[in-house]
Amino acid sequence: MTGRLPSVTGTGTLLRFALRCDRVRLPVWVAAGALLVTVQSVSSQALYDTPADLAAYAASVGSNAAAVALAGPPVGLDTVAGAVAFEISSFVVVVAALMAVSTIGRHTRADEEAGRTELVRATRVGRHAPLLTAVLTAAIACTATAVAIGAAATATGLPAGGSFLLGASVGAAGLVFAGVTALAAQVTGSPRATQGVAGAAVAAAVVLRAVGDVEGNGLVWASPIGWAQATHPYSGDRWWPLLLCLAATGALAALAGALLDRRDLGAGLVAPRPGPPAASRALTSPLGLALRLQRGALAAWTVGLTLLGLVYGSLAGSVETLFVDPQARALLPDAASLTDAFLATTLATTALLAAAYAVSAVLRARTEESEGRAEPVLAAAVGRPAWLGGHATVALAGPAVVLLASGAATGAVRAVATGDGGEFGRLLAAALTHLPAVWVVAAVALALFGLVPRAAVLAWAAVGYVAVTTLFAGPSGWPAWVDDASPFAWTPAVPIEAWRATPLVALSVVAAGLLAVGLAGFRRRDLVTG
Amino acid sequence: MTTAISVSGLVKGFGSVHALDGLDLEVATGEVHGFLGPNGAGKSTAIRVLLGLLRADSGRVRLLGGDPWADAVALHRRLAYVPGDVTLWPQVTGGEAIDLLGRLQGGLDPARRAELLERFDLDPRKRARTYSKGNRQKVALVAALASDVELYVLDEPTSGLDPLMEATFQDEVRRLRAEGRTVLLSSHVLAEVEALCDRVSIVRHGRAVQSGSLTELRHLTRTSMVVETARPVSGLAGLPGVHDLSVDGGRVRLDVDGDALDAVVRHLAGAGVRSLTSTPPTLEELFLRHYGEDLHEEQTPAAVRS
Repeated sequence: MTGRLPSVTGTGTLLRFALRCDRVRLPVWVAAGALLVTVQSVSSQALYDTPADLAAYAASVGSNAAAVALAGPPVGLDTVAGAVAFEISSFVVVVAALMAVSTIGRHTRADEEAGRTELVRATRVGRHAPLLTAVLTAAIACTATAVAIGAAATATGLPAGGSFLLGASVGAAGLVFAGVTALAAQVTGSPRATQGVAGAAVAAAVVLRAVGDVEGNGLVWASPIGWAQATHPYSGDRWWPLLLCLAATGALAALAGALLDRRDLGAGLVAPRPGPPAASRALTSPLGLALRLQRGALAAWTVGLTLLGLVYGSLAGSVETLFVDPQARALLPDAASLTDAFLATTLATTALLAAAYAVSAVLRARTEESEGRAEPVLAAAVGRPAWLGGHATVALAGPAVVLLASGAATGAVRAVATGDGGEFGRLLAAALTHLPAVWVVAAVALALFGLVPRAAVLAWAAVGYVAVTTLFAGPSGWPAWVDDASPFAWTPAVPIEAWRATPLVALSVVAAGLLAVGLAGFRRRDLVTG
Repeated sequence: MTTAISVSGLVKGFGSVHALDGLDLEVATGEVHGFLGPNGAGKSTAIRVLLGLLRADSGRVRLLGGDPWADAVALHRRLAYVPGDVTLWPQVTGGEAIDLLGRLQGGLDPARRAELLERFDLDPRKRARTYSKGNRQKVALVAALASDVELYVLDEPTSGLDPLMEATFQDEVRRLRAEGRTVLLSSHVLAEVEALCDRVSIVRHGRAVQSGSLTELRHLTRTSMVVETARPVSGLAGLPGVHDLSVDGGRVRLDVDGDALDAVVRHLAGAGVRSLTSTPPTLEELFLRHYGEDLHEEQTPAAVRS
């Protein structure tokens, strides 16, 4: 292959090296996907072990707009296996998509920015070899995810054919986002912008799929996640939608390869403009620097979650008219409307995303430290608390901004739709109710940063933990303390539950304590670079 | 003479690796002090301890009369630092980075900033992402040199600079010395240290192996001589401090220890010197003796104090 195509010479060697570099990272992603499916399969089989249980479940979620918006099309709910696929597929697809985005991002523009690609390309390596290596690495990871999910689901007793189709659909959707990221890497100006654009594409796919499934229009076909779920594992087992994924991946990767020839190494197609020759007054303090470094991410998350808030707000209007199954209404608390139940779920989901943003903001401090950029700042007249305080402020105030914007969007849409101006304030307050729980997750990341800097990235495990316990709190079969350990479990599920101050104050105190631990740890330890 | 930096018995380890193993360092106020050593000798680690970025395991460290770990912020107002490996924020322009670091340090002189940008030929509007290594180095240099402080800590500041810019840098350091500022200049570029430094400390394997003025250090090295005499010389081989002797009729080549020069010259004078070329030792040779001759390592004097 390499003999006839000189532009990809060296791909084999590079691929072996890339897999070696990712020998821990990729198996963790793959295992996370397989673990989600395993947990879901085991707990669903325990919960719906009689046909009556299963029928009740199918009736309730099939008519629950929140469940459909979060999970996908309510098909195949007449079997436990179909219920498992319904519950878990949309989450595992996002895991695979994020794995693909980060893998391509690291092996393309991040390597270029660090100067590693230059070193490699100066040897007998073709121009397209690094890009092809990145795509192949992501493809291997997606294939491994597909096989692992298929094997895990089969091992828990689900039909093998459907299990491997479920895995293949997840892997295939991941591949499409590998292609999207490869394309973004050619166009955008920096590695962060590459990951940002690709992440936005994942978010857009999630939203398009949710709107399409709730409204029942054709919008799901605009989303690769919709294609993956159109395979209907365990109920019909359609393999043809996978061809859509493969065709899209091939087209995106080919376009990326063509654009690669038109850009310079380390630069995107979008040419950078000269910047200001002097710093503005805003860039004077450690907080000013943290804001400057993180403003792009904050803006992106704010825009993204505002759009999500608008979508959730408008979907809430459809809940009452589209899903009027009396059986489903009977399952809900008396006073609560279906709409409020829907909004409680979507607000919690938004808060989970805000927690993910908060952790990424804290880890920005770690990146600054490990890449040596904290050193010149701390060698100036800046103390450790001031430096970390700058990033901590962004990580704590940023989620407040994001939740405020998202809650305001949902509230505004509901206020207009219902003609009740009070809805705006009510839903804004409901969104902000989740803030203390988000702070606890951010503070866990800060404590890890202060105490064990090299392991700070484990804060993502905290995000995964609260996400799994929050999203699967209902059907889970695990002990109560597993749920109770999550700060999200202590947050009142407004607006279906009443607002209570005590747990929110307690969560804020816990967050403050963890923050203090992180600051104290950082003051005592060495600066850890590399 | 007051002391700007005083380090004794400094130990710093990372896991099982001993980066600093009892380092001693004295820098007097107002001097340009060379901090010499091969890669991995522990120079950058020592500087990071001096800046309070790393915490000493043991030993005594005083910087401008304070404790660099406990009084870091107060001390940093009085010093400026150029890291050995300058990494900048990719999306921030060079001019912004200079202003930011200058402001965080306590303010910089706008006129000096403009002058230094001119002298170092640096475009402040480009984003750090597009800078070469040398240009990143210039950003850190401009930010440090435009600061009005007592102490300049420069960790291999000329790496990546072209010879013209190195000359500019040397001018700037001479200017600092003329103003009575203190400079700690870490380097493995010997010519730079010879050109700029009043005194030198040589560090290897985390310990100072020699310290003193360049004159004092030259006493520790050998002078190479080529001598033509009227009569054949005899008995040279028997003199102490004579090495690598070769006699070719009336032409003699030899290396002489610094403290044996007097005796050797007297001996040669007896044979009627017709011509004499002597080459003073360079720091290269000094380095070679410490790092090239492993066999003689044990006999190396631990430290020579001034």
